[in-house]
Amino acid sequence: MTLEKKRILIAKPGLDGHDVGAKVIALALRDAGAEVIYTGLRRSPEQIVRIAVDEDVDMLGLSILSGSHKELATSIIARLREEDAGDIKVFVGGTIPEEDFEALRAEGVSGIFTSEMTIESVIAEVDSQLS
Amino acid sequence: MSTDTPLNRRQISRELTRIANASVRDVLDTIGHSEAPAAFRIGITGPPGGGKSTLINALVKDRLKNRSDTRLAVLAIDPSSPVSGGAILGDRIRMDAIADLPGLYLRSLSSRGARNGLCDNIVDLLTLLETHGFDEVVLETVGVGQSEVAVHEVVDTLVVIVPPDAGDSVQTMKSGILEMADIVVVTKADQPGARRMASDLAAVLRKRGDRDVPVLQTEAEGAGVAALNQAINDHRAWLAANHPHALTRENRRRYHLQALIERQVQDALKAKGDITRGTLTASYDRLLAALRVK
Ligand SMILES: Nc1nc2c(ncn2[C@@H]2O[C@H](COP(=O)(O)OP(=O)(O)O)[C@@H](O)[C@H]2O)c(=O)[nH]1
Ligand SMILES: [Mg+2]
Repeated sequence: MTLEKKRILIAKPGLDGHDVGAKVIALALRDAGAEVIYTGLRRSPEQIVRIAVDEDVDMLGLSILSGSHKELATSIIARLREEDAGDIKVFVGGTIPEEDFEALRAEGVSGIFTSEMTIESVIAEVDSQLS
Repeated sequence: MSTDTPLNRRQISRELTRIANASVRDVLDTIGHSEAPAAFRIGITGPPGGGKSTLINALVKDRLKNRSDTRLAVLAIDPSSPVSGGAILGDRIRMDAIADLPGLYLRSLSSRGARNGLCDNIVDLLTLLETHGFDEVVLETVGVGQSEVAVHEVVDTLVVIVPPDAGDSVQTMKSGILEMADIVVVTKADQPGARRMASDLAAVLRKRGDRDVPVLQTEAEGAGVAALNQAINDHRAWLAANHPHALTRENRRRYHLQALIERQVQDALKAKGDITRGTLTASYDRLLAALRVK
């Protein structure tokens, strides 16, 4: 129960309608002991930030398959800081090309998950960042 | 008691997290001196998948219509996994229509192993919300079975929902949670069997206690929801007229004290393995002594 009492929001910003990956991650986090809130599809950055604040999460995982990961992550992190919630760790998962990793990290993204990674390594990374 | 200032969401949500993980002593330090007036509490309970979250979505949307100065909080509890202790908190997915309302605060909670349909510190959380000036709180329980009647103790108006396909589970509910209901709602009234279910329930519930329990039907898209809100307001007025004591903070004190002391006892039993040594009387005295130290 490494993630016991940790609160994690898994959110789907943008327009793509695939949430299988997001649900797999949500279940794996639950099995590691976390309390996982799932937003459902197609949330705006404003909505996601309000949910993250209301739910007081330790981590926000963004599942993005549409290719607009840079814009969405930048906008969400800026809004979190505006709401005095810049300490919430933001992770991005989905189809993220490696050449974007550095830019995302520079924007304040704490971790990047791609479909090539095993679930175990994703959970281990979340665990080390939240403890 | 509403004010025009917007909700301080960051502060409220952080305090809720802190108190949800706090010791009894810390709970008392945080809310133990509060004189805040009691918020009106509405409980929504019924079987898993029965339509509770969907109903809250429509209900709260209607309740906050034309009442922009009202502060309303929704606490939605989902079950924790007995294996990992983790939880998927998914009630929010159904609450799209209210998620952006300025006067609404919505928080998902894990039952954290509690088996009474609530979570162990629910009364602490409700009291904390009162200190932030919420006028009303809607509480969604974990889907309940026959024995999970604790929600009745912590709310003013209890709405028990029954979906049309509830079948056999209605039999167990009849000698359980339905006996506690102030209002009964047959959800998913667009589906076959809803009217039949409603008339069956009305026959069972007729003339019990000093008040008729209304049986209503609702649909996700909002049909019947205005009538439900009216019934909730009527019940509140009825309480105020006939049981004014029921709506006061003092009346809630008993349950709250009991919840706090139960946690103290659990903590003491966990911390001190030697409490159970010797005779029953010796153990009991040792437990009392351990409680007093805190
Ligand atoms: N046909 C129909 N389905 C509904 C209605 N209300 C809820 N549902 C469906 O019932 C399922 C469970 O609803 P939910 O609100 O999550 O139930 P809860 O577990 O009691 O909170 C979902 O798939 C809803 O879409 C309704 O009025 N009509
Ligand atoms: Mg629900």
